[in-house]
Amino acid sequence: MDPEQLDEFVMGYLKKKGFNGAAKQLQEALHNNNNNNGTGSSSSFNSTDYHNDPELTKLIRSFSQSENDPTRYRNGYSNLRSWAYNSLDLYKHELLRVMYPVFIHCYMDLVGKGHTQEARAFFNSFRKDHEMIHLRDLQKLEGVLVPSHLEEMEFARSLRQSKVNIKICQYSYDLLLQYLHRTESTLMLGIINEHINFQVYSGQPNSSSDDIDAVTIVGSFQETADHVNQKEIQWGLLEDSLEDRLEKTGSLLTDSEKGQGESKDGDVDDSNKKRSTEIGKQGSSLKKLKKDKAGNATAKVARQETSTVSPAPRVKSELALPVMSTDVEESILEDLRNRVQLSSVAMPSVSFYTFVNTHNGLNCASISHDGSLVAGGFSDSSIKVWDMAKIGQAGSGALQGESDTNDQVAGPNSRRNYTLLLGHSGPVYSATFSPPGDFVLSSSADTTIRLWSTQLNANLVCYKGHNYPVWDVQFSPFGHYFASCSHDRTARIWSMDRVQPLRIMAGHLSDVDCVQWHPNCNYIATGSSDKTVRLWDVQTGECVRIFIGHRSMVLSLAMSPDGRYMASGDEDGTIMMWDLSTARCITPLMGHNSCVWSLSYSGEGSLLASGSADCTVKLWDVTSSTKLTKAEEKNGNSNRLRSLRTFPTKSTPVHALRFSRRNLLFAAGAISKPTS
Amino acid sequence: MSIVPKETIEVIAQSIGITNLSPEAALMLAPDVEYRVREIMQEAIKCMRHSKRTTLTASDVDGALNLRNLEPIYGFASGGPIRFRKAIGHRDLFYTDDREVDFKDVIEAPLPKAPLDTDIVCHWLAIEGVQPAIPENAPLEVIRAPAENQIYQQKDGPLIDIRLPVKHVLSKELQLYFQKIAELTMSKSNPSLFKEALVSLASDSGLHPLVPYFTNFVADEVSRGLNDFLLLSNLMHVVRSLLQNPHIHIEPYLHQLMPSVVTCLVSRKLGNRFADNHWELRDFTANLVALICKRFGNTYITLQSRLTKTLVNALLDPKKALTQHYGAIQGLAALGHNVVRLLVLPNLEPYLSLLEPELDAEKQKNQMKSYEAWRVYGALLRAAGLCIHDRLKIFPYLPSPSPSFLNKGKGKIISTEPNKRKLSVDSSSAMQVDKPMGDDNPPQNSVQPSSSGQASDGNAPESRNAKEKEGSKGRAITMKAILDQVWKNDLDSGRLLVKLHQLYGDRILPFIPSTEMSLFL
Repeated sequence: MDPEQLDEFVMGYLKKKGFNGAAKQLQEALHNNNNNNGTGSSSSFNSTDYHNDPELTKLIRSFSQSENDPTRYRNGYSNLRSWAYNSLDLYKHELLRVMYPVFIHCYMDLVGKGHTQEARAFFNSFRKDHEMIHLRDLQKLEGVLVPSHLEEMEFARSLRQSKVNIKICQYSYDLLLQYLHRTESTLMLGIINEHINFQVYSGQPNSSSDDIDAVTIVGSFQETADHVNQKEIQWGLLEDSLEDRLEKTGSLLTDSEKGQGESKDGDVDDSNKKRSTEIGKQGSSLKKLKKDKAGNATAKVARQETSTVSPAPRVKSELALPVMSTDVEESILEDLRNRVQLSSVAMPSVSFYTFVNTHNGLNCASISHDGSLVAGGFSDSSIKVWDMAKIGQAGSGALQGESDTNDQVAGPNSRRNYTLLLGHSGPVYSATFSPPGDFVLSSSADTTIRLWSTQLNANLVCYKGHNYPVWDVQFSPFGHYFASCSHDRTARIWSMDRVQPLRIMAGHLSDVDCVQWHPNCNYIATGSSDKTVRLWDVQTGECVRIFIGHRSMVLSLAMSPDGRYMASGDEDGTIMMWDLSTARCITPLMGHNSCVWSLSYSGEGSLLASGSADCTVKLWDVTSSTKLTKAEEKNGNSNRLRSLRTFPTKSTPVHALRFSRRNLLFAAGAISKPTS
Repeated sequence: MSIVPKETIEVIAQSIGITNLSPEAALMLAPDVEYRVREIMQEAIKCMRHSKRTTLTASDVDGALNLRNLEPIYGFASGGPIRFRKAIGHRDLFYTDDREVDFKDVIEAPLPKAPLDTDIVCHWLAIEGVQPAIPENAPLEVIRAPAENQIYQQKDGPLIDIRLPVKHVLSKELQLYFQKIAELTMSKSNPSLFKEALVSLASDSGLHPLVPYFTNFVADEVSRGLNDFLLLSNLMHVVRSLLQNPHIHIEPYLHQLMPSVVTCLVSRKLGNRFADNHWELRDFTANLVALICKRFGNTYITLQSRLTKTLVNALLDPKKALTQHYGAIQGLAALGHNVVRLLVLPNLEPYLSLLEPELDAEKQKNQMKSYEAWRVYGALLRAAGLCIHDRLKIFPYLPSPSPSFLNKGKGKIISTEPNKRKLSVDSSSAMQVDKPMGDDNPPQNSVQPSSSGQASDGNAPESRNAKEKEGSKGRAITMKAILDQVWKNDLDSGRLLVKLHQLYGDRILPFIPSTEMSLFL
């Protein structure tokens, strides 16, 4: 470095900091120095000190650069970027991970210092690099143009306050540090030091892209999450549940079968009769009956096998659960007995309910547990409930006798064949059926939740408590209790007999978009626009798990019937399978390319169905994706796609999915005319 | 800087009555406006997601404003998309197309149809994991085959380019359908059923997967069954039906189809029995060729030129059989008058001189040959005649005559063509004559005035032509003066007419409107 130049820097610095005396002295000294140049240098000031010491030179230089120069950010970043892109392929992906945090902090620094124009230019020239993964964040940040916005915007604030964790191998880390020192890019070094927390590990770098939690943008938040996730949860099923009882009765049945052959025949006849009457009651088509029969034989055998494989632990309920009437219990048991065993080779049948003539007004759809009732929530504040069983009967009646039922057919045809429930004063965002199908709950933009009776076709209760639109409401698996979530960032637990919420779960950093009950009723899961899923203890109202990994808002949740796993679907079409006990993502299920509106586990938990805005229903093999993780840990990489089937619809986005207790899959959606 | 320019802020400030907004303030406000708008839009996207939609609507924005306790913007929740118009002279300036509506019009307008009520339709998306092929489900097989290939390629990387042959799966129903149609075409025993089949071929919407099979079938059978007249005829009818079907995209298969069709037009021999009316088949095929050229001529520019080249070659090769010449002439004639004028008429004179010896009954002993020669002669005459008729009809359209005038036109028929040969233009070709003529002047066909002036030789077809001429004649008289003028101008047509008259003698006369003829004679 040229000493003259250096002197000038020092001068500039002194002047800027207001050390005028010192500056004057220095100038004099320099002057002398120059004069004495020919004779000798020892007489002068200690200028040699900083001329010869490289560390000091660097320091001086970094000070000397005008701190407000916005081009420094641009140059520093673009140099770092080209260096990272030109690095060895082996280490490239690790180095590239560093780029995003550096990018956003450069941008926010620029904004913070008031260089609006430069910030915008900087952002636009490099945003392409990060759009793939961080599109949503970039969209949010793009609007930040003035320092006050940084203060105001929660997302930006949290970014500024927290550090980013990046896993990086030793060699990559050394490379990066070497580069930063060699090029003396102190600015970049500063940003990296300030905002990135490297987790250096020894050994070879991980192969790219398989490490989803290599970069976690929420540093301090991560610690709390880790802390929260230490808590113990009881994910087992309820003791003395119906399934338990079924297993007991099932074994009893086999015993009796051994003993007396005659009564077995009687039994089968009996059950057949029951089934047929029940089918009649449900009004479902003949096909269903056939299918159930066919599956029945295999089901019994397979069930006994699986029951021995992984007995889920039993837990006590912490809520006082409603008592189920024996009739309902019987019918559920009957359904469970007739459940078709599904697996990767035995696929379910899918019955699709298509809403027509919705005029783009259908906001949500819900299907009752037996599939016979379908509710639609509309943007004109109405809820419409169809009884598919009645529609089926009317149709068959018309087919049977055209001549004598002419008048009767004309009657129901002229009026609408659904029940219209009016009461909300804003778009209805969610509807849910109680397990026996006698109640409907709906949530709306008018901040209320309403309870409707399907028998009386009337509104019973209006629950007021949320302060903002209620995005989702879900009945508990046993009825009586329900959970809701809202734009006010809370989720609430209610019981049908009280108009005030029982619990308020607060903690999400943005809207709570969806809610789901754990099968044992002791927990609820909530998905949020802050890209996390949380698990809450219903009894204490505490957050017991935080699941981090989604890249956009979480739209749908489903719990596996054994209570061990949870699936969550997001806006980008990614579905994640989580292990509740470890709060780790087992595997991301990629395949959808648009919002995943709905998820549902099959009755015994072997299949996961997902419905998406890309007009498909996909079936995923859950058992293989959980098993393969162990192999994956060893191999490091394997095929992630475990999609079994894709059922495309004719331009109908799938709004709702439900596996009936007999494992028939029901799906619903509103047909959208292809835009030409 | 920000997307919102400070000029916008100034304009908005003016519009709400703030006149003294300093430029600095506008500059400061602009980024904040952008930030707020973005915020609102992000909230609106949330509302959109919760309405389970993927397109943002005005109601979503209203919902977002509601969330912020702001008053919604009224007037945009019409449901339909808002139409923006470009301001003239400004590249980036748009305004909403907001028409003024007259209350009277609104009140007096008939009530719009009530929108259909929401309903639910139920169907099986899958049965035990298999999608049934019902209209409610998306056609699966067609979509899936290429998709799988793509995935396969992506996995293997760009280095290895493996293309799996696309497996074309035909449903059982389609296979049966194809078999049945093929059987019907081959069997020829059940004409009424075959007719039904043709109707089905021409109208069914789900036949597209079968098109390659049909083209293959036609090509095979034509090359194999040249001796079987009925089969060929059936095949041509099948081709016609396929062409008529609006749901079929037949273009990719045209190149396979054309050779068979042209074969049926200009083959030396079609059918092996004397009784086979292969003339009719050739006429039918000629129309078919014309249909194809009309429909696909625009997309395949070379189609017609290649076709005419083939046909003209067939016509001008004296070694080719007369039947082939006939087919070529019919094909060219069907392609339109311009084709005839440009390609046939210049060759007319040498060709007729070649044909002359064949026509002469004394020189040509072979009865069959002579018949064929007269057929060719008739076809040529018709082509030339129609061509000249068309030329003459270019003149200004004349007002239709009054009924009284038509009644007046009754008179005796004067035979201008003393046609002694009994084998002149026969009925079948005359029927062909009628078709294009009928399109040209339909009103006259209903009235049947006898001719007062020129008429035909008394042959049924000729006289019918003559009757049509009558109509135009009637009009011609009223507009005689104009017509004369035009007629004189069109020396080219006149010369052509003279030439044709020289070649054909009086036989050409029926094709010519009488006034013109009188002039030229």
